[in-house]
Amino acid sequence: MKDKTDPASGFFWLIFSVFASYQSYQLGLGTLHQPGPGFLFFWTSIVTAILSVAVIVISLSKRPPEEAQQPAFAKKNVTKIVLVLISLFFYALLMEPLGFIIVTLVFFIVLLGMIEKKRWSFAVLVSLIVTVVSYLVFEMALQSQLPKGLLTFLRF
Amino acid sequence: MVEILQSVVFGFQVALQPVNLIYCFFGVLIGTLVGVLPGLGPAAAIALLLPTTFKITPVSATIMLAGIYYGAMYGGSTTSILVNIPGEAASVVTCLDGYQMALKGRAGPALGIAAFGSFIAGTFAVIALTFVGPLLSNVALAFGPPEYFSMMIVGITVLTYLSSGSMIKALIMAGVGLMLSGVGMDTISGKYRFTFNIPSLLDGVGVVPVAMGLFGISEVLLNLETEINRDILATKVKNLFPTLKDWADSLWSIVRGSILGFFLGIIPGGGAVVASFASYAIEKKASKHPEEFGKGAIQGVAGPESANNSAAGGSFIPLLTLGIPANPVMAILLGALMIHGLQPGPLLMQNAPDLFWGTIVSMYIGNVMLLVLNLPLIPIWVKVLKVPYYLLYPLILLFCLIGAYSLDNTVADVIIMLIFGILGFLMKKFRYDGAPLILALVLGQKLETSLRRSLIMSQGDFSIFVTRPISLGFLITAVLLLIVPVITQRKRLSTLEEG
Repeated sequence: MKDKTDPASGFFWLIFSVFASYQSYQLGLGTLHQPGPGFLFFWTSIVTAILSVAVIVISLSKRPPEEAQQPAFAKKNVTKIVLVLISLFFYALLMEPLGFIIVTLVFFIVLLGMIEKKRWSFAVLVSLIVTVVSYLVFEMALQSQLPKGLLTFLRF
Repeated sequence: MVEILQSVVFGFQVALQPVNLIYCFFGVLIGTLVGVLPGLGPAAAIALLLPTTFKITPVSATIMLAGIYYGAMYGGSTTSILVNIPGEAASVVTCLDGYQMALKGRAGPALGIAAFGSFIAGTFAVIALTFVGPLLSNVALAFGPPEYFSMMIVGITVLTYLSSGSMIKALIMAGVGLMLSGVGMDTISGKYRFTFNIPSLLDGVGVVPVAMGLFGISEVLLNLETEINRDILATKVKNLFPTLKDWADSLWSIVRGSILGFFLGIIPGGGAVVASFASYAIEKKASKHPEEFGKGAIQGVAGPESANNSAAGGSFIPLLTLGIPANPVMAILLGALMIHGLQPGPLLMQNAPDLFWGTIVSMYIGNVMLLVLNLPLIPIWVKVLKVPYYLLYPLILLFCLIGAYSLDNTVADVIIMLIFGILGFLMKKFRYDGAPLILALVLGQKLETSLRRSLIMSQGDFSIFVTRPISLGFLITAVLLLIVPVITQRKRLSTLEEG
């Protein structure tokens, strides 16, 4: 089986490097006496571009290492990972408007109840405990100033 | 000599203050816990707990964060021996013989020798640190921008040389890290770079959210895919104290591991992981019965466990004296010190002696605490291991979310962390190492400033880097490290593992 991961990743970093070098060039390279803000990054991106090409060339000419011969993603749990990621992004985007207490509670109920498919009573109970304890520890003891969101009126 | 003794006494006065003792205790306790839990390493843990230190003094904060690092080295061995799952990367080799010892009913002595070896090595490293630190600090005072530039280049090169997998890929990662460090305002011209009109990028990409993503979130994603299987050894752990024969067998392994680990720890780019592998290889070579390795040789536990602890101590040297982090964990600690308004480097010892000596001496105390803490608490750590993963990973994720948000009370850091979590997951899949990226990201700004200052000093003449002897020495080392793998087969960690 041919290794497809290395050419793909090499290509990705090549595009990234070309983009970065264009951006750095725009910033201005300056002169050697007075290197400009884009100087170091322009030359760095040129080097990474060359290295990315090397990754592609080597992967096409060499037998892939053993671990590369297995498919990169085990199909089994991809859905689970995607679901967890979606919940994480929702948490991030909603934590300020809704507040720490609500998002944490919902986040745990979703993870335990929907994604891990535990009993709902168990999921809700654990979520309540985690939310209360983490709020006490981070907000009360460590004064982390977590967002209050909808519950601002409660003032606790 | 007298000066150092006075400093050590001063250090004890700082470290023995009740509040610092408590933070030291918290640090080593959390460190051990993190070491025990697979999928949560010291880098992620320090990043996670950093925001909780904002309300305490920099001295207490550093003492606690340092404790997490060397504490994790102790804890990691427990899971390697009992479950055959390394709690963190520096304990991977301990599995080879530690678990075999456990299977033969010798889990007790394996855990015992790991703890005592760690204690001896940790203490050795701290004593060496006490003497080497000030020495190096003085040397570093003579460094100008060209020397700093060359030294950082060596640091990044060493890390790419030692990193697992392809060196080309590691170099790409270092380049990417360097470019990421350019995001935000250019300190020399005042221009904004690579911000793409996104307000949250004006302050740059923080090291801590990136590290949390690469080492915390991505680990959870990987573990979700594989579903960790944990069979905890049912046998009772007894006889934690190694017998006289065990001591005789492993004493020299501990001594060799301590010395080797310390020096590998000092080298930028080295660190606990490399030290443990190197020690295992050496012990196998030195042994009269190399065939016993992999079947429960006590030297295979004693050597690497001593080496990783000693390296953890040694790696504080470049951070505290030069301001150069030797590995990702130290990179995060550097970030922590800077958030607390301290500039690690040769002047740290003069500007903040309480921090410098307080932290070093707290490590003596921390090592004693760990020894006392670790052996009797092993049954509790085994219980911790039994916490099912479906409960553990939501908690790790929650800590990451809270940690990233509390850095600056902004969602932007949380988003950065999540993006790098996905990137880190993909990097593991495509076999890229995250460590060079973090190191380059941390060093980037300093590297750029020293490069541009050097060129201004020399009026655009690049020869300034090769006409100054110290800088030339660094650059020759870097070039050698880059050329050697092309000429010969690079000695990778994986070959050390096999050998």
